[in-house]
Amino acid sequence: MNPMTPGSYMPTEYFPVLITMVIASAVGFGALFVGNLFRLKRAYREKLMAYESGNPPLEEPRYRFNVKFYIIAMLFVVFDVEAVFLYPWAIVYDKIGLYALIEMLLFIVVLVVGYVYAWKKEAFVWD
Amino acid sequence: MNSADFIALLPLIVPALASVVLLLLITFSRSHAVSVLFTLGSLLLSFLLLFVAGGGTPRRVTPLFIMDAYSLFFIGLLFIAGIVVAVMSSRYLGERSMERGEYYVLLLLATLGASVLAAGSHFASFFAGLEILSVSLYTLIAYRRNDDRGNEAGLKYLILAAASSSFLLFGMALVYAQTGSMDFFQLAEGGRVPDLTVVLSAGLLLITVGVGFKLAVVPFHLWTPDVYEGAPAPVAAFIATSSKGAIFALLMRYFSLMDLQRFPAVWYGIAGIAVASMLIGNLLALRQNNLKRILAYSSIAHMGYLLVAVLAGGTVAKTAVGYYLAAYFATMLGAFGVIAFLSGEEGDAENLEAYRGMAWSRPWTAGVFVAMLLSLAGIPLTAGFIGKFYVVAAGAGAALWIPLIVLVAGSTIGLYYYLRIVAVLYGRVPEGEGGAVTGFPGRVLGMTGGILLTVLTFALLWLGVYPAPLIRILQATVARLVP
Repeated sequence: MNPMTPGSYMPTEYFPVLITMVIASAVGFGALFVGNLFRLKRAYREKLMAYESGNPPLEEPRYRFNVKFYIIAMLFVVFDVEAVFLYPWAIVYDKIGLYALIEMLLFIVVLVVGYVYAWKKEAFVWD
Repeated sequence: MNSADFIALLPLIVPALASVVLLLLITFSRSHAVSVLFTLGSLLLSFLLLFVAGGGTPRRVTPLFIMDAYSLFFIGLLFIAGIVVAVMSSRYLGERSMERGEYYVLLLLATLGASVLAAGSHFASFFAGLEILSVSLYTLIAYRRNDDRGNEAGLKYLILAAASSSFLLFGMALVYAQTGSMDFFQLAEGGRVPDLTVVLSAGLLLITVGVGFKLAVVPFHLWTPDVYEGAPAPVAAFIATSSKGAIFALLMRYFSLMDLQRFPAVWYGIAGIAVASMLIGNLLALRQNNLKRILAYSSIAHMGYLLVAVLAGGTVAKTAVGYYLAAYFATMLGAFGVIAFLSGEEGDAENLEAYRGMAWSRPWTAGVFVAMLLSLAGIPLTAGFIGKFYVVAAGAGAALWIPLIVLVAGSTIGLYYYLRIVAVLYGRVPEGEGGAVTGFPGRVLGMTGGILLTVLTFALLWLGVYPAPLIRILQATVARLVP
């Protein structure tokens, strides 16, 4: 499994990855650079406008959101991560058995406590 | 995991469980007293369970934790600090109209994270503990939501801690790439780390950045004064003690297990950080007029002193670090305790000039504060002196002459700003209207404050006059860390 001698390891097998990264960025930046050399530059007002599928832009892109959206976003992240943990758990459940069930129950209970807290704190009430 | 593992881990399970139960509790009852008593009770229970867990030590519980005498000592120290901070906070929060219950949930979690660090024996538990600690601290630091400096401090700590965590994580990845193990004990096995290759030294350098940030040693100290100033006084006390003490416990275990002192590059790096911290921390404190900022710079210098003991290595040095940390915990908690208990609702009592002449109207409060300052300065008869004496003894044993010279020079500079505060406390009272002598305008300590600070002062003097019992405990616990 681990044939390398400790202390003398250099990650040489990743060298092709480095080369790929160098070539990829050279192609990308090179295309931009060469395009910049040859293309016509004729700017006018409509062309410089933000692209809104043909409609003129209605307002500035940076405006203030209601702070409640942040709470919703936070709750979404908290309870969405739960699902991320549940998928791999479901796959390896057969191999681990009862231990996995208890672990996941603990995890869900902690999440439910968080849910009750958010509920009582009226985080789900918009007004 | 069998039942013996479970018993060994009980001191860590109780605060984890308590934080969840408390979260549920505060959704139904927002009583401040209930939250405080629950927090104190669970921390006390965890502390007592250390003695139960001590029966089965040393015990490796999964590769993540090692419950030995060393970790039990530091976890005990962290729980005591947690109890003191909780008592301090009960008065601090009790007078302010803030959300109170969540504070104690976060305090329990932060204490848990620190304890995980003290018992960690694997990079995974190292990182998990660090994140539990940091994420709780982000919120605790910004707990005074309506205070601009509090928000600034919270944001600063959030961004810098996140950046330093990524350094740490990448460093761990490089060490793993080099050695093929994240387990401290496997790393300690002979021949696994024979010499310092490029990848390994890059990894160690990145880990040093991450750990250095948490310890607030020069050159990773820039956040310290701002965060201490913005954080509520009890939280600042927690950052100065538990957060740093836990990292230090882990660092020393990691160092002595991997025997990193044998690499000159690592040795000189740590020596450079220690010397810079002692000098710059003390020098920058000289012209501060904000007590919290003075204590912040003072804590930078103290971490420098502690690193000298780490450089020395060996049994004496471990006893020295244990003693120094215990003395430092008592002193810093006391000093921040005075500030916390004197703080009113309009802001923390951090302006040095407000303390002018306090000794004449409040001799006892001033006396406690002076005791804490003298201990920080390392004056004989206080715990700080014995701690420093031990560090110097360990350093002299290892012939670390240059760090020791800097340590003595730094302590001398330190004397100036500690005694400057004492001079202000005993200074001439500014005369009020019509020549009437005005007393100290701040609040009184109150009962909890009086009792807590008296206990801390007595602990300080007791450790300073009769250090033998603690040294015996240290020799039975910390000094027995497997090299």
